[in-house]
Amino acid sequence: MISDRVKSNLRETFGESLLPKLGLVLLTVILVMAMFAPLLATHNPTRTGYFHENGGPYPPPGFDYTTTVAQDGEITQVEVTATDEHLLGTNTIGQDVYSRFLYGARVSMLVGLAGVTLALLMGVPFGLIAGYYGGRVDDGLMRLADVMLAFPALVLALALIGVFGSQPIRVPDPIVWAGFAEGMPESIPIPGSVTIVVALVTWVWFARVARGEALSIRNQEYVKAAKSFGTPNWKILVTHVLPNSITPIIVLATIQIAVIILIEASLAYLGFSGTTLSWGYEIETGQDVLRTRPWVAMVPGIGIVLSVISVNLLGDWFRDALDPNIEGSERGA
Amino acid sequence: MSMAKFLFRRTLQGVFVIWGVVTVLFGLRAVSPGDPATLMLGQGATQDLIQQVREEEGLNDPIVVQYGDYLAELVTGDLGYSWRSEREVEAMVIERIPATLELAIAATIIALLIAIPLGVISATRRGSPSDYGATLFSLLGISTPNFWLGLMLILVLGVWYGIPYPTLSTGSTIPVGIGLIDLPTGRRAVGFGEAFMTLLTEQSFDEMTLWLKHITLPAVTLGTYFTALITRLTRSGMIDELGKPYVTATQAKGLPGVLIRYKHVLRNTMIPIITVLGLQMGTLMGGAVITETVFNWPGLGQRLINALSIRDWPLMQGIILFVAVMFVFINIVVDALYTYLDPQVSIE
Amino acid sequence: MSEEILRVEDLSTRFFTREGQVNAVEGLDLTIERGEVFGIVGESGSGKSVTALSIMDLVESPGEITDGSIEYRNRDLAEDLRDEHPEAVDGEFVDLLQVPDRVRKSLRGTSFSMIFQDPESSFNPSLTVGEQISEAVEVQRRASANPRLSRGVEYSMTSLVASKVLSSRKFVTRESHERAIELLELVGIPDPVQRYDEYPHQYSGGMLQRAMIAQALAGEPDVLVADEPTTALDVTIQAQVLDILDDLQEETGMTILLITHNLGVVARMCDRVGVMYAGEIVERGTLADVFDEHVHPYTAGLLGSIPDVEQAGGRLKPVEGNVPSLLDAEMGDRCYFADRCPKAMEECLEKPPDLPGGGSDDHRAKCYLAAHPYEESQALPDGYFENERAEEVTDDD
Repeated sequence: MISDRVKSNLRETFGESLLPKLGLVLLTVILVMAMFAPLLATHNPTRTGYFHENGGPYPPPGFDYTTTVAQDGEITQVEVTATDEHLLGTNTIGQDVYSRFLYGARVSMLVGLAGVTLALLMGVPFGLIAGYYGGRVDDGLMRLADVMLAFPALVLALALIGVFGSQPIRVPDPIVWAGFAEGMPESIPIPGSVTIVVALVTWVWFARVARGEALSIRNQEYVKAAKSFGTPNWKILVTHVLPNSITPIIVLATIQIAVIILIEASLAYLGFSGTTLSWGYEIETGQDVLRTRPWVAMVPGIGIVLSVISVNLLGDWFRDALDPNIEGSERGA
Repeated sequence: MSMAKFLFRRTLQGVFVIWGVVTVLFGLRAVSPGDPATLMLGQGATQDLIQQVREEEGLNDPIVVQYGDYLAELVTGDLGYSWRSEREVEAMVIERIPATLELAIAATIIALLIAIPLGVISATRRGSPSDYGATLFSLLGISTPNFWLGLMLILVLGVWYGIPYPTLSTGSTIPVGIGLIDLPTGRRAVGFGEAFMTLLTEQSFDEMTLWLKHITLPAVTLGTYFTALITRLTRSGMIDELGKPYVTATQAKGLPGVLIRYKHVLRNTMIPIITVLGLQMGTLMGGAVITETVFNWPGLGQRLINALSIRDWPLMQGIILFVAVMFVFINIVVDALYTYLDPQVSIE
Repeated sequence: MSEEILRVEDLSTRFFTREGQVNAVEGLDLTIERGEVFGIVGESGSGKSVTALSIMDLVESPGEITDGSIEYRNRDLAEDLRDEHPEAVDGEFVDLLQVPDRVRKSLRGTSFSMIFQDPESSFNPSLTVGEQISEAVEVQRRASANPRLSRGVEYSMTSLVASKVLSSRKFVTRESHERAIELLELVGIPDPVQRYDEYPHQYSGGMLQRAMIAQALAGEPDVLVADEPTTALDVTIQAQVLDILDDLQEETGMTILLITHNLGVVARMCDRVGVMYAGEIVERGTLADVFDEHVHPYTAGLLGSIPDVEQAGGRLKPVEGNVPSLLDAEMGDRCYFADRCPKAMEECLEKPPDLPGGGSDDHRAKCYLAAHPYEESQALPDGYFENERAEEVTDDD
């Protein structure tokens, strides 16, 4: 599937620059955070009411603030200071920001990976078949792609959410279920419709790239040879066309994960993601208290930026090593 | 083939794409949950009234008939009425176009002004501190969601460093939004056109300053992603281009560096970039939706989000349709520009 | 007249690559006289193109000129620089490796210009050929309008922006446009007025090479460097292009440094020749010295490799073996040709000095055979270098 030349290119570019290493480390950290969130979290991320005795939410270190309280009938200024109990403070309704940060990584990574997988499953077969057979299927795909491209991805996603709704699917959390993490939420909310929607707005890029590859591969000698032996078309597609077009598809997939994470965050920010355990949603709640409790919006934003950077760094690495010119690899949310 | 013929063919293709967009939108409306008549009248409406509206609007007709009616209305330029406000969608779209256009154009200008020189410097001084700086900036720029960037700009510049920025009253439902009301004076900022007219007729910079004050942060927010993207594209394209033999030849004939970099190399770099930028116009509109929400900017994006949250389909369709038409139009212009920039591409 | 115009001494150009340091040009000596055609001949990979690029100051990273001097005779330039850079000036000569980049750049186009091997990739595909020639004319016009040669042509970002708005501020002027058309006519392009506005892809290869000659002549340079000017062309077109170069050289009396692997071209065009091997000039002298009185076995090998048309079924006798890799680590300190040399002797394991070649006064060769005849008793045993290499390989493991 992946040739030795590609592997050695990957190794070479990896050794040359610091950036792919940084990307790999970052992504590993974020994936570990996402997977083992129930073990790493200090508090149940959905539990509210962790407030300072003086009334306000806990600030993270460096963000101490003063607030006014009525004490013995008098109005006084009191200091609200950080606590070790809540590493990154708590939010406006008293939830632990650090624990929510970990769970937010889950939703981002889950939607990113599941969305890309779904988009791959939709786009690649369609593109390969269109490129391989050509003719009407191909014309149809290209026209459909033109129509899809005329919609801004985010706008189309919003319109689709209008149709699908945004109910999350709740799946039992295996770590909690196995009894390793007590007091954590028992189910993981998977934003199912969001996943479908992001796949629906990104699959067309996979289709276009797969089509382009199939188009050039079908004229290769080995494909013609296979045809002359009477190999059925579906077999040629699976054994020749797919393996030989996989490299650019991998590059595109990596970069589309970053795009999807950004779309998910935007949808959540606009209130269309259906789960409150999402970084985008958290930023939305923090925006109302931006002046007085800036950390509530800051922390989840850093999470988004770091995960998108890590994926982009890997994407750049793959692209530099594999193929410099892939259509759609420079496209954002 | 002549330019006129080329434009005609591309316009025909564009019409086809728009028809596709319309059909997708109609399909979405048809399968979306919720009865249009109920949405139009509100929850408290009586069954009789709902039935009456369904009949009037043709909602009881077979779906094919509804689709035909819908297309027929669109062809005559009738976008219908908003379900909620009962105003003409056309007017509701048109009144919001200038604000969005101003924002998008300002963002594009910022992006081009910064990104192209940055990409050129980055590519011509590879490995220098300015190259690393530009690479880091562009990596951050394409990785930062613009709603968060907008908030952080407000926080850092406005709240922490006290750089004055216009804001809505603190009692408003969107306390961080900027909107168009200038708080200290309570004056309402006007659009660029009106501000420019004031400048001409009254020789007063007041309106212009106010306009600039309001548009800067949203435009920077919207423009950052594009600045980063174009920097990356320019850098990598320029590096490819600089390796070509003709560059050595222009150096050999003693051409000044500015001309080599900008007249020769950058021009050839921009040829493929322009196509990418055309396709990115959709992303720009998507970004505008978010940016307008963050900054309470009275443009199409903000209206679209409102329409979506109350499922006001005609208004939503009108806005999306406008965006799609813009996209198709811009890409026709881009293709025409391409044939002008690259003499090797004749119009097939 | 016989006045030296270019004196290259001990020039070394190295490339610092991932595999290691490549000594593309190594201690190269060369003098070129005003008005002559000097040929550098060698196999591909011998460093002749890098020599040309070093003289033009067009060596690009990871390459770098690490040693030596390139002295260029130009009285005005020497006067101009005497105060600011006394170390670079020696009489009428200026050492180009000791002057600032700015000065080096200012000489391109006006003092030195270059013709490249592949005309199709050496023109910008998206500008008209005429425009590109006009640019070269304009460089010359502006440089000659400037009394101080070392200043070069200044063109700022502001001028560029202004030229987009005002057509009167464009870099290319009406005068240079007209001169470009004259130049196109001079190199024998039919319909020059119409051809001016055509793009490179509308030209044939031969036409484009003529256009490139026109472009190189536009600056009225002292030295024209022609790097394989005919290699990419059809045989019939090659002759035409050489004719043009020949005629123009006679008319203008300019100096040409001709880089080629084709001894036929050398014989036809050059007054003096340097034979290049592994980054060095191993033998140089007049055409007669090199063709008839050569001492270096490599020169003999090269000459032997010209198919002799008079001999029925003329056999091609190539020099056996390959050009060495030029990797510093693998080069050692011997005669680099020894491993391919049919007359290698024990003393060849030490680098030979530059010796008089026995022909004219200019004739020099880096070979012990110039000092004494071949002695069979001193010959290296057969397969000496293969064994040496085999040992290295086992060492590596």
